[in-house]
Amino acid sequence: MRKYLPLIRASYMVSLVYRFGFLFSIIGNIVYLGVAYYLWKSIYQGRDVLNGLTFNETFLYVGLGSAIFILLKTYADWIIHFEIQQGTIATYLTKPLDFQLYSLFTNFGAVLMNLTAITVPTAVVMIFVFKVQVTSGIGLWLFPISLIFAFLISFSIDFFVGLISFYSESVWGVTATKDIIVTVLSGGLIPLQFFPEAMQKILYWLPFQAVYHTPLMMITKADLGWGTFLPMLLLQIAWAIILLIASRLFYNQAIKVIRISGG
Amino acid sequence: MRTLGEYIRLYFIIEAQYIKARMQYRADFIISSIGMFFTSLATLGVFWVILQSVPDVAGWSLMEMVFIYAFFMIAISPMQILFDHAWQLRFHVQEGTFLKYYFRPLNMMFYYMSEIFDLKGLIQLVMGIVLLIYASIQLQIDWTLLKIFLLLITLFSAALVQISIIVAASCAAFWVVESYPVLGLAWKLREFAPYPMSIFDGAFRFMFTFLIPIGFVAFYPSQLFLRPEEVSLLVYFSPIIGIGLFSLAYWIWTKGVNSYTGTGS
Amino acid sequence: MSLIHIENLNKHFKVLNRREGLSGAFRDLFSGDYKTVEAVSGISFDIEAGEIVGYIGPNGAGKSTTIKMMTGILQPTSGVIEVNGLVPYYNRIRQAQTMGVVFGQRTQLWWDLPVIESFKILREIYKVDEKTFKQQMEMFNDLVGLKALHMQQVRTLSLGQRMLCDIAASFLHNPKVVFLDEPTIGLDISVKAKIRSLIKRLNTEHKTTIILTTHDLGDVEALCTRIIIIDKGKILYDGDIKKVNALFGAYRTLKVQIDNFNESTLQTLQEKIVNHFGVDKNLTVAQTEEFWTDITFDQALTPLSDVLNFVMKNFSVLDVRIVEISMENVVQKVYDGALG
Repeated sequence: MRKYLPLIRASYMVSLVYRFGFLFSIIGNIVYLGVAYYLWKSIYQGRDVLNGLTFNETFLYVGLGSAIFILLKTYADWIIHFEIQQGTIATYLTKPLDFQLYSLFTNFGAVLMNLTAITVPTAVVMIFVFKVQVTSGIGLWLFPISLIFAFLISFSIDFFVGLISFYSESVWGVTATKDIIVTVLSGGLIPLQFFPEAMQKILYWLPFQAVYHTPLMMITKADLGWGTFLPMLLLQIAWAIILLIASRLFYNQAIKVIRISGG
Repeated sequence: MRTLGEYIRLYFIIEAQYIKARMQYRADFIISSIGMFFTSLATLGVFWVILQSVPDVAGWSLMEMVFIYAFFMIAISPMQILFDHAWQLRFHVQEGTFLKYYFRPLNMMFYYMSEIFDLKGLIQLVMGIVLLIYASIQLQIDWTLLKIFLLLITLFSAALVQISIIVAASCAAFWVVESYPVLGLAWKLREFAPYPMSIFDGAFRFMFTFLIPIGFVAFYPSQLFLRPEEVSLLVYFSPIIGIGLFSLAYWIWTKGVNSYTGTGS
Repeated sequence: MSLIHIENLNKHFKVLNRREGLSGAFRDLFSGDYKTVEAVSGISFDIEAGEIVGYIGPNGAGKSTTIKMMTGILQPTSGVIEVNGLVPYYNRIRQAQTMGVVFGQRTQLWWDLPVIESFKILREIYKVDEKTFKQQMEMFNDLVGLKALHMQQVRTLSLGQRMLCDIAASFLHNPKVVFLDEPTIGLDISVKAKIRSLIKRLNTEHKTTIILTTHDLGDVEALCTRIIIIDKGKILYDGDIKKVNALFGAYRTLKVQIDNFNESTLQTLQEKIVNHFGVDKNLTVAQTEEFWTDITFDQALTPLSDVLNFVMKNFSVLDVRIVEISMENVVQKVYDGALG
């Protein structure tokens, strides 16, 4: 496992080269925060609580949701698609490296870069400019752990989609569909509490809510305690394991085809 | 020099061949169309979910918001269909393949953008038209000839605004190696266009009206048809804003093209 | 008046000095540390209609920069440049109408379209009339059998076929001047020969001026009547091919791998060779890659067998290769006064 660790630093450094790219991502996200702030303010229109969430909680949920979106946006699906399509995947297959682990660690480096360059500044802006309040509670401690599993789930989905797009030859179509399904059904755009009851029940059993909704609940409702969070966390861990294994099996299948057809 | 008519003729000749060739990748077309369908549907879904909990957003009902969104979808279609090659500009610039666009006796923006005709954008256009008709019926909008004329003018202007923003943003590739975030930002701003601008105040309303006037992509012009009595005078300037912005974007493109040196020595 | 007139042409670039490592990358974020590079400095030449000129030099010599100025992509920092009586940079579209360009391995045809459709679109772009179009297509067919490729998609063509199509396409509108950048790069010998004969024929057909940049001295030998050698932004030689031809043609480099090679080996070899063959035979010894020692010599003065025998006798040789003289060697020879 140790040989994979330098990959984190390498991809972190690669991300750094992109001179002022981060500046624009930060600006973009601050504008988004502003838009979300006004939008939800006009939705609340003096109401204290909607669907069990105060304005402060909803804004925290949505704002931090956008920060997590950027955090997890490593374009792993696109990169894997192009590695296979252009045949560069062959160079990994000849090295004593596992391609999936290689992608995982490279992505982790990119995630760390996103964290320092965009997610942390976004959080700072939310606290100091928009004066968002965070309640203390056990959820705050579980949040970072939950985020790691959110990353694993998101990575597995991306990895899966990268492989599918190889079969379908339509990287845009597949990733766009995936992006929109994941963000909407996971609470990336609106808190899941706003969805009709019946839909919420279905969404609970889908893996998507584990990407945004679970960590975001731990921050917005940090004081809910173990009784709520433990099942959520366990479900999230279960999804992470299931999806990692599933994407692994799919990868083994795909690599056979790639080996035969030559990519 | 060529006349506009010659360029249009040439565009049809190139695109007819392009579409014929793309039809070999039918799976890609179908999957992309599905992706486009869901992507377009998502914002509507968000509106619908929100309006399950509250009766209106800043006084705008669900159907009114659907109308604005339908206007938005039609207005951004020309950008999607005709200017989609803007997304690849950074690759061409970095890899030096952009050079070839200098060698033809054609307007470079024309030649460059003509290389891609984005078929999936047609899905967006069709969805937009269907939704606009549906919302008009629900809202009982009385379409007079004058209104239809105004609709076409405002859609044209709104399309120009959207095209200008994306073209100008893509031009960052001429000066910055990793220019994607600039385009990414412009793209993200586009997502805010279908929201009622009246929810914003101060700096945000100013920004979306004057600096990056995405308010003109959907909300302001839609007011002409939804609430003619509340219409802001600015709406009547939208053709000027559209043409002015496009001129600015074209100027930035020309600057970029002139400053590009190509890779290698 | 000459077709291309260049006088005291200069092009300078500003480039950012990048730093190494993680902290360097951080500091580059705020860096304003630029240096000026003189890609082309003070070159002058005239090219007449109908000439085929080889414009050669090592990588980074300033070839592409000059071509980009001639085609109107780059604005010169200073100096005069006129092609067909126009300043390219200010008349790009008019210039493009009388110009053809082929840039190495990057095709300018429509990737997804059948070859014939690309030609039809080009016909519209350049406003080539029906009759001329037919004539040209017939000619291309006679020269390289283009008809066989008509219905093939450009993306499915082999590199050689694509290059043939690209070159043909660049002549479709009867341009006054055609720029060919590395037209034979990455192709095997037989395809190279095919491309060379196509270029030659197209040149004679309509007296089209051709400017050829290449790394392959075979291209130059086969096609050019005149050669311009450029290095470090300056012209080293401009003149008749014959003089240079002798140089390219006769020189060979013998590469040997010597057992127990160390720093003094090179020195010893150099001394022994000079002692044995004499200074006037002009043999040079150098090391250009790891483990290999290069001995460059003129075959007209010293037969290959003599050199090989001598080295084998005096050293324990592990491996041997014989290569034609490289662009770098030619430039070095010119510096050393070989054309003086």
